[in-house]
Amino acid sequence: MLRNSDDAEDAVQEIFVDVWKNAARFDPAQASETTFIAMIARRRLIDRIRFSQRRISADSLEDVLAEPADRSDKNMQTAVEATEAFKALGELRPEQRQVLQLSIIQGMSHQEIADATGMPLGTVKTHARRGLLQAREIMGLGNMTATREVSV
Amino acid sequence: MRSTIEETRLDLLCKQAVYGLTESEIEQLQELEKNADSSIDSQSLELTAAAISMMGLEIEPMPDHLESKILSRINEHAALASNADGSVEENVFTRPRQPVPAESPSGSSVWNWFPWAVAAAACVVLAVNIFTSRNTTDVADGPKPTPTLEERLTPAQQRQRLIETSPDVARAEWGKGNVDEIAAVSGDVVWSDERQAGYMRFRGLPKNDPAKETYQLWIFEDGKLEPHPKDGGVFDVTDDGEIIVPIDPKLATKDPKVFAITIEKPGGVVVSSREKIAALAKSET
Repeated sequence: MLRNSDDAEDAVQEIFVDVWKNAARFDPAQASETTFIAMIARRRLIDRIRFSQRRISADSLEDVLAEPADRSDKNMQTAVEATEAFKALGELRPEQRQVLQLSIIQGMSHQEIADATGMPLGTVKTHARRGLLQAREIMGLGNMTATREVSV
Repeated sequence: MRSTIEETRLDLLCKQAVYGLTESEIEQLQELEKNADSSIDSQSLELTAAAISMMGLEIEPMPDHLESKILSRINEHAALASNADGSVEENVFTRPRQPVPAESPSGSSVWNWFPWAVAAAACVVLAVNIFTSRNTTDVADGPKPTPTLEERLTPAQQRQRLIETSPDVARAEWGKGNVDEIAAVSGDVVWSDERQAGYMRFRGLPKNDPAKETYQLWIFEDGKLEPHPKDGGVFDVTDDGEIIVPIDPKLATKDPKVFAITIEKPGGVVVSSREKIAALAKSET
């Protein structure tokens, strides 16, 4: 548990350094600060999981998150982000919405989604790609010009 | 040929945004990017995935000790950057009342950036929590948070509160399914899209043996019994009389039209065979 707690804290610190290094890429016209930071966080966590080939245990995060809550406008900010994403997914075809939710939110692989839903693997991949591209357009994130550096 | 290359590039970009890429895939994408003629870029797809990943979540606070560590590390970076261009000699984050003309390594003002970075600290902790907890099957076993008002209410009180405070609440009456022994089931289900919460109220739903079987809710959004409804969670009936069960949808649910209760093996299933449908309800709105 202690090792995993350390992992989580390390990850948070790395994410902040990444945010610092990538601050110039933040464009308020394209996305909110919350979404930008969430993107950086996802990158770092994907990299960590790929590197370590193991998953960080959820119970270790209890240690990190044990402090009392200070809920203020931060909740509202996230609620706005969630609402925008929710609306965007609502405009997708049900199959596309389901595949995106299972892959991005539930963390399921395309094969796992195919097994769970009965859709052919190729269909799952098609829904995932078209759904993500369409959601990008609906959410107005389609005007970015910067491309991610593949080695962060 | 060109469209095939672009298709491959889009596949890789989407995979990068959702799952990340292997080393060989990164190299392949870099090669494809050299001749890309599409306006679709990786960052916009990553932002889209990030926004979706935040759906239905609540911010968690950052512990003080972790915040201190992070501020310390940012301090180090700021000091290094400042010393590199000679514009600032002191530690900018320990002198909050001083005007700071220094620029961050990326060119934006430290003080323009710092407030929202601190405000977003909780978001980063949240992101770690989301990503790790959603990619693990481990069960959290740490200290429990203080119950909220909602948690202190009985299910009946919570249901009533939802009805009274959510103008968008949809309601449906339970009727029999295809199990002859459960023909007398009645009650209703209420659901709020805005709150992403709802409650089922049953009368006449028989007690089940949790070691042998469980009840499972399925939510259909398009009004038909489509192949892939939303999993609304499992529950057991251990008492006679009226029972109220909170709905625990695994995915965001919008405008549900039909609710179905099936009888499944303990723990529930991912896809139901629908052999035993204990109850059905069709939304009135």
